[in-house]
Amino acid sequence: MTRFVTIFRKEFTDTIRDRRTLFVMIVFPLILMPLLMTVVTNMQMSSMKKAEEKVLRVALVANGNAQGLVEALTARNDLRVVAGIPADSVEAFLARDSVDAALVIDPGFDAAVARMASGTVRLYYRSSDDYDMVKRRLADIVGGFEKQIVAGRFAALHIDARIVNPVVVEEHDIASMKERIGKSVGGMVPYLFVIFCFMGAMYPAIDLAAGEKERGTMETLLTAPVSRFQILLGKFAVVVLTGLLSAGVSLVGILVALRRVSKMPPELMNAVMAILDTQTVLLVLSLLLPLTVFFAAFLLSISVFAKSYKEAQSMISPLMIVVIFPVLMGLFPGIVLDPVTALVPVLNVSLATKEIIAGTIRTGLLLEVYASLVILAGLSLFGCARWFEREGTIFRGV
Amino acid sequence: MIVVDHVSKEFRISRQQRREMGPGFSGSRIDAVRGVSFRCTPGRIFTLLGPNGAGKTTLLRMIATMLRPTGGSIAVAGFDVVREAVEVRRRIGFLTGNTGLYDRLTPDELIRYYADLYGMDPGVFAKRREEIYGLLGIGEFAGRRIGKLSSGMKQKVSLARTIIHNPDVVVFDEPTAALDVVTSRAIIQLIRRCRDEQKTVIFSTHRMGEVSLLSDDLAIIHRGTLIFNGTYKDFENQMQTRSVEDEFVRLVEAA
Repeated sequence: MTRFVTIFRKEFTDTIRDRRTLFVMIVFPLILMPLLMTVVTNMQMSSMKKAEEKVLRVALVANGNAQGLVEALTARNDLRVVAGIPADSVEAFLARDSVDAALVIDPGFDAAVARMASGTVRLYYRSSDDYDMVKRRLADIVGGFEKQIVAGRFAALHIDARIVNPVVVEEHDIASMKERIGKSVGGMVPYLFVIFCFMGAMYPAIDLAAGEKERGTMETLLTAPVSRFQILLGKFAVVVLTGLLSAGVSLVGILVALRRVSKMPPELMNAVMAILDTQTVLLVLSLLLPLTVFFAAFLLSISVFAKSYKEAQSMISPLMIVVIFPVLMGLFPGIVLDPVTALVPVLNVSLATKEIIAGTIRTGLLLEVYASLVILAGLSLFGCARWFEREGTIFRGV
Repeated sequence: MIVVDHVSKEFRISRQQRREMGPGFSGSRIDAVRGVSFRCTPGRIFTLLGPNGAGKTTLLRMIATMLRPTGGSIAVAGFDVVREAVEVRRRIGFLTGNTGLYDRLTPDELIRYYADLYGMDPGVFAKRREEIYGLLGIGEFAGRRIGKLSSGMKQKVSLARTIIHNPDVVVFDEPTAALDVVTSRAIIQLIRRCRDEQKTVIFSTHRMGEVSLLSDDLAIIHRGTLIFNGTYKDFENQMQTRSVEDEFVRLVEAA
């Protein structure tokens, strides 16, 4: 036990003095990630607002029809109607960015409407622009105009408008704000902390095994009166700790980022803060521990096998995709925590985290996730220990 | 005391290694050491001489408990290297020419780390550290990060690490390889000092100058088998050529 503590202490000191590890473990999740999140979210919010408030230049070819629509358009302050553009030129004007959209009213529009038929209004726009905001804003105005016509027709025919709405659906959403947010954005939390957990464990794992082989320090360490299992355990504990620290720091980073998104509505912010209460955070971290043990054993096994730091890095880096994929699957609609998905490593953490955040986790499934993760962690540690005992692995390329 | 008795070591080789060995080689295993026996006694320097790839490092790694012999037995200070590996490790110091150090630690931290691994009593450690720091002149840079030290300073730290626990047996695997003359001399002085302190010293080299300078006993290994084993004086007496180097080449070519 004393030897384990000695090895752990030394490996931890060595690790936290490594700038690369410190960057991935602390600087990136705590400073850079919140900064990036804040900047990107604020930029997105501000550009959406800009798109909403932008005075649109709308080419209008009315052909003397749809007077009500023309009046509705010209009365608005957030639109500037551009007249005088021929109908066959509106696409060219749009392509040149001379206008933001065009409305071309069919010459037979009024006649069609008068005989209770449908008149055509062609809306030209670019769906790639400004979150499709141009189309939405103009469709709302045209929709309002259509409602006026429909109301007029009902009045002319002396028909109660309710005749076309025989069923009125009264919606009663019993999901709390916490549940709604948890299910919709809760999947993003594991996406971030599982990746940071993996990244935080990755560099120490490479450094403490492959790096040690490359530097020639492993050989001398193996001649010390310590069992290989104790050596492995000391290194393993440091890798687990750095993985957990990195994931924990990334959670703090998410909180910092949320607080810095100044334009977030206060009721949404309050709901997010209520979600991240102590119990939720502790439950999420409890899922993270066995997952980190699995990552640490897995990463160390590869690192022990590699001849050099570079080889270990080239073997481990592509695995990031393997980790990201099940986390991303957790974001797909229709994939939920059930007795089968609770057994799939990483995906189960992603789905369980979402349920924990939403406050809808079922104890039986949570226990199944724990059991699956603990068995996996135990097996991977056992495999790693056996691997570390093998001469062919330790002295490969030494 | 080191007793090596009919020791063999077989390695499984990969497909790539087999390809590298040429079409003449067809097996999946290679004998790195075959039926080697010798004895190293306290107060004498035992030199293991051989060309590159002869099996010197494999043999020394087996003595230091890093590798397990596939045949025969090795006893270090009376303990079997397989069954009593931890006891053996308590009693040996191991240094190779490729020995690296932890660049982010200071010499003080590194030496303390190894002392803790050897389970040294704090009082004994403090005294031993003072003695070794004085001997090697480490005190002035003991608090600086190892990564910032010169190669000569680093080698001194390596030496201190090797002998901090005052081992009965010291194993040097080509300790002067790739070192300059000044640093090599410090190692040679330390090897002699170990002999004077009645330690069992085994060192491997392919530098002929070091053989004549240090050896009390000599074994020449070639392709995993011993082609000479005796005292250095015996070796000189049976020489059929003018120099140690020529005699070594003659024996290797004849084997």
